[in-house]
Amino acid sequence: MRILKQNAEAFCYLLPATLVLAVFWFLPVILSIIISFTNWKGLDTWTTVKWVGLTNYFNVLQDAEFHQTILNTFNYVIYSVPLTLLISLLAAMLLNSQIQGRSFFRTVYFLPFITTWVAISIVFRYFYDREFGLANYFLKQMGMPRLEWLSEPRGIWTMLFSTIGISIKKPILAGPSLAMFSIILTTIWRSIGYYMIIFLAGLQNIDKTYYEAAEIDGASAWHRFLHITVPLLSPVTFFILVTSMINSFKVFVPQLIMTPSGGPDNTTTTIVFHLYEKGFQGLWLMGHASAIAYILFVIILIITLIQNRILGRRVHYEV
Amino acid sequence: MPLPASIKHEKNIVFVSNIAIFLILVFGFRFLGWKGILVYAGFLALLLFTIINVWQRPRNIKDTITYQALLIGGFFMVLPFYWMFITSFKSYKEALAFPPTWWPTEFHWKNWVEAWNAPKGNIYGDPPVPLTFTRYFYVSIMVGIVTTCGSFTVSALAAYAFARMQFWGRGLFFYIIIAMMMIPGQVLLIPNYLTLAKLRWLDHYQALIIPWLASVFSIFLLRQFFITIPEDLWDAAQIDGAGRFRFLWQIVIPLSKPVIITAGIFDFLGNWNSLFWPLIVTTRPEMRTLMVGLQAFNQDAGSDFHLLMAASTFAVLPIVIMFFFLQRFFIQGIARTGLK
Repeated sequence: MRILKQNAEAFCYLLPATLVLAVFWFLPVILSIIISFTNWKGLDTWTTVKWVGLTNYFNVLQDAEFHQTILNTFNYVIYSVPLTLLISLLAAMLLNSQIQGRSFFRTVYFLPFITTWVAISIVFRYFYDREFGLANYFLKQMGMPRLEWLSEPRGIWTMLFSTIGISIKKPILAGPSLAMFSIILTTIWRSIGYYMIIFLAGLQNIDKTYYEAAEIDGASAWHRFLHITVPLLSPVTFFILVTSMINSFKVFVPQLIMTPSGGPDNTTTTIVFHLYEKGFQGLWLMGHASAIAYILFVIILIITLIQNRILGRRVHYEV
Repeated sequence: MPLPASIKHEKNIVFVSNIAIFLILVFGFRFLGWKGILVYAGFLALLLFTIINVWQRPRNIKDTITYQALLIGGFFMVLPFYWMFITSFKSYKEALAFPPTWWPTEFHWKNWVEAWNAPKGNIYGDPPVPLTFTRYFYVSIMVGIVTTCGSFTVSALAAYAFARMQFWGRGLFFYIIIAMMMIPGQVLLIPNYLTLAKLRWLDHYQALIIPWLASVFSIFLLRQFFITIPEDLWDAAQIDGAGRFRFLWQIVIPLSKPVIITAGIFDFLGNWNSLFWPLIVTTRPEMRTLMVGLQAFNQDAGSDFHLLMAASTFAVLPIVIMFFFLQRFFIQGIARTGLK
């Protein structure tokens, strides 16, 4: 009887949260799986909806536009994740010293993260502007020609190698388009502060005596970094790597508001951007869009599992 | 350990000279281009030479390098903010000048008023409607406050049940909630839109508030903290005749103030900055949040960068002010997510 009463009481505490989660999280997961197997369009009445099996999935996978978005998304992830992690780790290590004005620098580096994407995109659209942007002003000061930034479809490697006369034909080798790379630089600028704070917490968690002992034994700064910092920071790094990778695959907002039409030659259209175009921008192909969402989910799942297999073993949890 | 006066004095010299040398870089580059960087390198070499040969303190060399790296990085972090703020006071012509000016020749304070009152087009390309930013701010603040308070209540109750009560399926239920943190939100977007359409909530406050009332992140964060509150307190409260609800309200919640503020900040920030959700669930301009309004203005205003920068500045300002007051909680909250 007492157990029953306790259960009833706990149920009352959980009821509001459960209700919201059930309606807006559980239910949609199931619904969207069902929708992805139908030919439903947002504007149709329910009576015309037909079960089409895996057709949507086949359609998505055969769509050349979708292949382009996969390439774009991988380009985004491959360049933005490692660069963000490296720069934020560097910033965290610089801040992990005893200098004046540490909290000032911490605030300055963190500030972009709390700023909304809409305002950022407005400012950076101005920054990258061909005619009067600061980016081209800096290039001019250094005596370099103007760049198109957000409207340049050529890949960064294509552009770089063309200056020394080598032309790259394969789209995979071309790298992200300069338009995408401009967006990558913006996302790096925004998220450095966030990852820096996590790294900083990880660094401050490492016992100082390890460094002192190593210094007495004559280990150089590089060796101390390699054999103390890297292994002891590995759980934090692993956590950041996994979460930032997952978030980067789902990226969409910066692309949508910096290049609303998908960028030059659709080179900034990511998978979720594509989903948004198919599902919500006039076409209302809900079945198709749901199939894209689940294909993305499977891609993220596979990548996360691979990361766990390969890197998970090398993480040192014990201190 | 307090430093001797002479070393402390020297530390200040290092601090000030580092900033001075960095300013030489900024202004040198502005006027001289590449040559400015050479002037900077020269002064930096001079400082390092002094440290090595006159003071002979390796610590100061390390500090100098750290300062220079942090200042150069910090310059790029601040530049967009500075540019946004300063352009918001320029005239239309000056905002489009090339080479750009680093300080407005004349301050146009009216830009802010003009941007605030400019009619905003509907995001779907319909004709502009006479809405000012007052309405957008009102919607955003309303939705932000109600969601944050509601989410706090709902999450605190659930977190308390997970942390402190025994019930059937507790473990399973908790793991389902954690697993939901991993599902990409876009999967849920389409069916949620349908649910809201069926409920006839589209274009109403409910659509902006109710789906965000249960924040998985807040539940998790609060539960982790509630677990650490000693069981003895509950026993003592029971002896004094308090029920569970009173215990939660009068003992647990006051004790977990920092965590609650952290969770609240993240709820509010997420709400304030969200663009996609309000964009999809609202079509009437007067139901749109500040971010959607700003985005509509962005698409309308074209190259009126002086007005766009003014609008961006006042959209960002409330969050920046909040950040300066509550910085400690931001930092703690984020630091906690990385350490299990």
